[in-house]
Amino acid sequence: TLAKKVKEDKMSNLVEEYFEAHSSSKVLTSDRTLQKLQRRLNQQTLHDLLKKAPLAYAAEIKELNQQHESLFSKWMLHLHWGFNIVLYGLGSKRDLLEKFRTSVLQDSVHLVINGYFPSITVRAILNSITEEVLDHTGTFHSPLDHLEFIVKRFKEDSSLELYVLIHNLDSQMLRGERSQQILAQLSSLPNIYLIASIDHINAPLMWDQAKLSLYNWLWYETTTFSPYVEETSYENSLLVQQSGSLALSSVTHVLRSLTLNARGIFRLLARYQLEHKDNPSYPGLSFQDFYQQCREAFLVNSDLTLRAQLTEFKDHKLIRAKRGGDGVEYLLIPVDDSTLTDFLEKEDEDV
Amino acid sequence: QQIQEDLNKQLFDNLVSFLRRSHSEFREKTTEWTFRMKSREIPTAALVLGVNVTDHDLTFRSLSEVLQDNITPYIALLEAKDCPGIKNLMQKLMGQLMNCYIDVDSLEDEDHVQVSHNRIRCSMTSIISWYQNVTKKTDSETPSKKRTSSSRHWQSPPVVVILKDMESFTTKVLQDFIVISSQHIHELPLVLIFGIATSPMIIHSLLPHSVSSLLCIELFQSLSCKEHLSTIIDKLLLTAQFPFKLGEKVLQVLINIFLYHDFSVQNFIKGFQLCIVEHFCSQPLSVLCCPLVDAKKRVNSLSHGQCENIRRLPSFRRYVENQVSEKQILLLTADNFLKEITQKLLEDLHVYHENYVSVLRCLHVFTSSLPKYPLGKQIRELHCACLENQVWETEEYESSLQLARMLNKSDLVTMLQQCVEIFVSSSGKEFDKTVEKLKEFLTQFQELEAEALQERDGSVSAQKELQKKTDLYHLQKTLLELKESRRSKKLTKFEMLRIEVVDYIDSLVRTYLVPADHKTLHEIVYFNTASVLRGHLNAAPRVALHTALNNPYCYLKNQALKSDGGNISNKAPDICIVYKLHLECGRLINLVDWLEAFATVVTAVEGPNADAASLDQVDDIIHARFIRAVSELELLGFIKPSKQKTDHVARLTWGGC
Repeated sequence: TLAKKVKEDKMSNLVEEYFEAHSSSKVLTSDRTLQKLQRRLNQQTLHDLLKKAPLAYAAEIKELNQQHESLFSKWMLHLHWGFNIVLYGLGSKRDLLEKFRTSVLQDSVHLVINGYFPSITVRAILNSITEEVLDHTGTFHSPLDHLEFIVKRFKEDSSLELYVLIHNLDSQMLRGERSQQILAQLSSLPNIYLIASIDHINAPLMWDQAKLSLYNWLWYETTTFSPYVEETSYENSLLVQQSGSLALSSVTHVLRSLTLNARGIFRLLARYQLEHKDNPSYPGLSFQDFYQQCREAFLVNSDLTLRAQLTEFKDHKLIRAKRGGDGVEYLLIPVDDSTLTDFLEKEDEDV
Repeated sequence: QQIQEDLNKQLFDNLVSFLRRSHSEFREKTTEWTFRMKSREIPTAALVLGVNVTDHDLTFRSLSEVLQDNITPYIALLEAKDCPGIKNLMQKLMGQLMNCYIDVDSLEDEDHVQVSHNRIRCSMTSIISWYQNVTKKTDSETPSKKRTSSSRHWQSPPVVVILKDMESFTTKVLQDFIVISSQHIHELPLVLIFGIATSPMIIHSLLPHSVSSLLCIELFQSLSCKEHLSTIIDKLLLTAQFPFKLGEKVLQVLINIFLYHDFSVQNFIKGFQLCIVEHFCSQPLSVLCCPLVDAKKRVNSLSHGQCENIRRLPSFRRYVENQVSEKQILLLTADNFLKEITQKLLEDLHVYHENYVSVLRCLHVFTSSLPKYPLGKQIRELHCACLENQVWETEEYESSLQLARMLNKSDLVTMLQQCVEIFVSSSGKEFDKTVEKLKEFLTQFQELEAEALQERDGSVSAQKELQKKTDLYHLQKTLLELKESRRSKKLTKFEMLRIEVVDYIDSLVRTYLVPADHKTLHEIVYFNTASVLRGHLNAAPRVALHTALNNPYCYLKNQALKSDGGNISNKAPDICIVYKLHLECGRLINLVDWLEAFATVVTAVEGPNADAASLDQVDDIIHARFIRAVSELELLGFIKPSKQKTDHVARLTWGGC
């Protein structure tokens, strides 16, 4: 009991620490930001660089995969016994499932669903079942009707068999309650065999008792240690330059396609904004002032042309208009300062 | 595989028949009640079914079957997931009612089929008009067309709507539905049946008073899931006819999952099924796991390789070692002799099972009535204890025997009678003697009773003598004598007999309840790899992730990765390093610092041989690797981007995991 007591003490300590850490909103971290880094990578260079970097422990990982592959026949057996298989563990299980598909499922009807794909929906999955497998073209009012139709068809025709492979069942798009419900009902059909992989640590929270019993999972640990290449390619990392705020490349691309005068207008605004970047209360350039400056630089000849130009920028989300307290319209470029500096430097080189 | 299928079928048949039986009483009650309630407002039956939602399907299905047979052809079964709004509910209801009607009627009225397809106009009025149509038709047609006998009794059979999962319905939908249907109760005799998982209180919390006052609720209780479990264990595990058995650990795992996780009988059965599959896959000798007659045939047709498998079994080795040397040689070399012996051993095993079950029940009769239940209240606990090791060596058994020695007579007699019944009904041959012996005990007890009566007469007369002599001195003397005699009194006949009985039971236990592990060839019928089962049924993905990230050596067998936990090995895969670094942080993590720490750790490996020129290049690669690792951690759910501070991520886990 001594050990138990020690453990209990440890537990209560842990709990106290937790609340201590979460009680104060102050967080002790340094104030450095990524701006200080010399350069930031974008998606493409990142991809290239990673390709160059050798994968560590390739031999061991291969061995690990072979271990998992030896279980394929067992999987098939279990699938035919009415269980569905879920794979968990560290590392991408994509290649493993692909291998399973190519080696075992070659001759049978199977459907692969890339859950990590950011625009996948349950409706698309159901559609692909009805269209490709059941050869039925037609639309349905709701996914429930759709599902009912599929269930009916599969119950009528016992010769139909379908293997469904879902990569990342716990992805953003599929983790909703309703989609899980539909997938669970689908998987409970005796002729549909489901193999899915999960990665998120809280993935099992998606399923309540009813869904679990519909899924009838058999858990398999498949730790592969292989990198999540496909899965993370859609994940917007903080470190990669984000699309939320405009990336430098997109700004330059848009501006390349514009006239010289339009570029000049933008550059003028950018320069003006950079001059005032240290002023936190800088509201932006008012339209009147801007018009004045553009006129002086012979970039526009009338109020209307400038407005037309600005609308074009607004459509590309290059600038944002904001009405100040005095009713005057102020113009801002919603791009962080460093990108803007980079942009100006590049423009100066070009010109 | 054929055997497996047979087994499985047997298993399911058993189960289904059992479930049907256990529900039948309950169903009878409900049907009877629906019968009665027809004339009142909205009659509602609330079935309290317990939290094991997954098992309720069968209950409802059989309930609707019974209702259909006896009372009404109109039954709709609604599930919460199909009814997000009142419109869907009405659609579903109408579709099911019409389908139901067609099912029962089984004569294909074309227009009805068409109506059911046309789901757009599904309102209460259309249901009512449909209902009136149907009833009119049946009313007018009953004389000529004989419908199901029960429905002939009714002018207008009730429409039963079963709401399977009361808790998951939206309050508004439910309320609306009840209010609407209460409006039409005169035209449409509706009966509601609620399936409730928690407690009847939920009706009052879901429905406001104005709505619940429209209902006339009667409560029905179903069997608790624990009782289901004990019956299933009784039916599946404690019979001799079912050849496949569970080992102690496996059984323990299954029971634990049931009692501590889900209370779901279905999951228990699933686990059992998995055990069967695993057993027949992994154990090459499991072909012999079948009824005795078949097994004997199969033994004869065993190949040499399979014989070798038998020889390799640990329990068989033990058996061989206890034989004389010539026999040993024969066993290890001659296949035919081996087969003969195997047959005999299998028969032994079979007999052992038969005896085991009845003796176990017998012992259970004794122990379950003892105070504090030293060996457990349920027979499954006793079963586990017996499987685990020799039960008579445990302390609990010792104490229960001591308690048994203090039983009073009437209890003892009833228990003995129960035991006799068990033995008589059991098929084992060896129990004739036992039964005789027990019956003898019983008659002795009856004799004792007669004697006791006489004795009491004697003592009464002695007391009368006492009362006669009122001399104080004499009184004291006789009292002392009485006391003395009581103290030094030898054991009465009853007590002697009691001890004898208990000892006899003890001996029975010792001979018949030997744990299965000690039997030869037990591997054929017992499945005992609990770890496989636990891994598949009750997996812990988080633990797997944690070990993989913390201690990659568990998976990647590379000497370089071997480390004594805690410190960060710089040769680990990137994601492990990043993970370890992130463990050291608090709630928020600064990405720049994190990157720098990562770079320091990683360059420590490459540092010595990296020249200054390519440093920039290296830095970029490290940067890229870091990005990859961080986004992997994000995918795994350890961190998420935070808006609290620029370029920070928030940790989503706490402590070491």
